[in-house]
Amino acid sequence: MDKKLCVLPCNGIDKSLGVVARTVALKLIEKEPEMNLICPVLLNTSDERYETILKESNIVIIDGCMTRCATKLVDERNQKIFKRIFIPAMSKQFKIKPGTNLELNENGQKLAEKISIEIIKELKASEYDEISIEKKLEEFDFYEITVDKYYFQVPKDGYFFNENDCWVKPNGNTALIGISDYLQNRVSDIMFVELPKVGTEIEQFDDVGSFESVKTVLDLISPCSGRIISVNKDLKEHPEWMNQDPYRKGWFAELELKNFDEDWELLMDGSGYFKYMKETITKEKEEMDFKN
Amino acid sequence: MSESYDPEKETFMGVPRKKIPWWPTIDYVKCNFCMECDKFCPHDVYARIEGEEKKLIVKNQYNCVVFCRTCAKTCAPDALSFPNKREITKLIKKFRSENK
Ligand code: SF4
Ligand code: SF4
Repeated sequence: MDKKLCVLPCNGIDKSLGVVARTVALKLIEKEPEMNLICPVLLNTSDERYETILKESNIVIIDGCMTRCATKLVDERNQKIFKRIFIPAMSKQFKIKPGTNLELNENGQKLAEKISIEIIKELKASEYDEISIEKKLEEFDFYEITVDKYYFQVPKDGYFFNENDCWVKPNGNTALIGISDYLQNRVSDIMFVELPKVGTEIEQFDDVGSFESVKTVLDLISPCSGRIISVNKDLKEHPEWMNQDPYRKGWFAELELKNFDEDWELLMDGSGYFKYMKETITKEKEEMDFKN
Repeated sequence: MSESYDPEKETFMGVPRKKIPWWPTIDYVKCNFCMECDKFCPHDVYARIEGEEKKLIVKNQYNCVVFCRTCAKTCAPDALSFPNKREITKLIKKFRSENK
């Protein structure tokens, strides 16, 4: 990272998630004393106070609710953003609910701690500029099942699925999307991909690009809303990665999340999807047996 | 034979499939009955009717996979249309929240 870093929490003191936002910021400063803390109230009343800092820094924005006060404060500036954190999404990602108490309870503290560690991790990774490679190749634990000659995997944690067999793997305010192992098995050898355009805004369940196999052409139906910030260009050369490693090397696109907090309600986690997938496979098998 | 497959009990995202109005609509002014859509769809949504003016119909509409609209890509005269995804998502959310 060539620039300094500063952090701006919304500091909403009327909601526990706002208090979490504030606590995350304080924890960041504690862990990285070089980082500058921006007070949203002061920024709002006399913004020249932070002029130099903002010009020289990348910013971490932390919002506690959909009003996104912190984001709005920097929206009109030409500010370099390192990361935007949306506390409700993180709360879901880590499965920690801080409750509604304005005095943070143990869970609230735990959540703030986890988020701050996550940000620091990303910060360190970006210093080596390897962030994307690392996060795309992480190892994972999975559920597995063999049906006839087919073998299927579903990651246990970190991935969420829609009923169109596509996954999203959120990481703070961004996420990777791709297709499930079940879907790649169904379509068999993928020969060609049509990737979406970077910058495209999508809603949940919109088609984002397509892929063509020896058997068929299908659209990837996005499990979440957001803006495409990168695509896996390597798939042009290696479409087979979607078959060989659908949850990692075969990722399709990366999004800046827009409304994951709501999108998430219509998705399944790893164990839910595994169950759903097994039911689908059983049903298909019965239909096949019936036809034969 | 199979106990688990019962179209009446099919759901999508926890909503009975029959409550979700998602399937293709054929514009018969544009359709030239090339049958590409029917050849493409693996879910037995379309049916060909010999000797009728409308040689192709949407027969098993609830077999159509919600949010899929791939067959539309095979249709050169652009005769296939689908409902608005936002509206359908809204409807799914509404049903889910009312039936928690
Ligand atoms: S949208 Fe998909 S499932 Fe529905 S009729 Fe077309 S190809 Fe078949
Ligand atoms: S692909 Fe289009 S033109 Fe051909 S039969 Fe289907 S709806 Fe009609």
